[in-house]
Amino acid sequence: MSRKHYQHLNDEALLEFYHSTRNLGAFQHLYSRYKDSLYRYCAQMNFNYASRVLEELWTSLLEHPPALQGRLLRSWLFIRLNRLLRRHPEETLETSPATSRAGPPGAPLLEAIQQLPRRLRNIVLLHMECQLPLATIADIEGISLKQCRDHYHDGKEQLREILHGPRRQPWRIAEVTV
Amino acid sequence: MSVWESQYREAASQLASPENLDERILQQASQYKPAPSNSRLASGAAGSFAAVAVLVLLIHPAQYLGALTPGGSTGTGTDPLENWQMQQKAPTPVERDQWFALRGEVRAGNYVTLCEQWRKEQRGVLDARLPADLARKARRHCRLLPTP
Repeated sequence: MSRKHYQHLNDEALLEFYHSTRNLGAFQHLYSRYKDSLYRYCAQMNFNYASRVLEELWTSLLEHPPALQGRLLRSWLFIRLNRLLRRHPEETLETSPATSRAGPPGAPLLEAIQQLPRRLRNIVLLHMECQLPLATIADIEGISLKQCRDHYHDGKEQLREILHGPRRQPWRIAEVTV
Repeated sequence: MSVWESQYREAASQLASPENLDERILQQASQYKPAPSNSRLASGAAGSFAAVAVLVLLIHPAQYLGALTPGGSTGTGTDPLENWQMQQKAPTPVERDQWFALRGEVRAGNYVTLCEQWRKEQRGVLDARLPADLARKARRHCRLLPTP
């Protein structure tokens, strides 16, 4: 099977083919589909452990390829990655300046994302970077869908505030009491 | 795609997986080999068992018993392979009609031989009697000559 044929296979078929043949080309194709997205999410969640966590993730996939049975490999990868990230201590802005390294210099939006609380950052990234639906993110975070949606909107609001300052308030005439 | 998402995509596009990480993971992946499947081994074993079974069937003496002793008896002393072809029946001999020539003459109108035979029969010289049709024609056409 050539590289051209891999493009027509979906993730599940490609993973199954790789599992049965251990064909390096098949894995390379599968890896190239998700490597950048996984790295972006991982680096923005925990830059210091990103490489180590990603290695753990792919090792687990190589050793025990998941039986997807119709589920999305994308969801499996990010759910597993989220669990692995929670095992490692997360640096904070105060303890480590490394968070600013998550994004390239001159990317104010990425720097603003680093300033969000962990839960909001996770929800925003899982939705925007990983393209997971909010229902799946709610399951990952262990909260209700409504809470998840509120957190997502809060996160976006905080980002807007960090980038552009607080929202303008309407002029209000203070009552002057004599 | 909302404005936020497009702005994020633009900013994050500069972040990519580092090459050394890719190399490490791909090198790790190259170490995995497919599990040896025992289907080939099983098919080989099944093939050899089948070959042994065919050999046993071919060389087992029991299968020749029926062929060697069609009558159910053994040790006839003759080689059965000599008479392996079906016995052909001897052709049935065609009996020739001894009155055929005489009938032909009578049919042609020549009664000389018939009357001669008739006279011989009347005198008791001839062993074989004329058949009924010839005797009838002889009675009609032949005269009884006085015996010399």
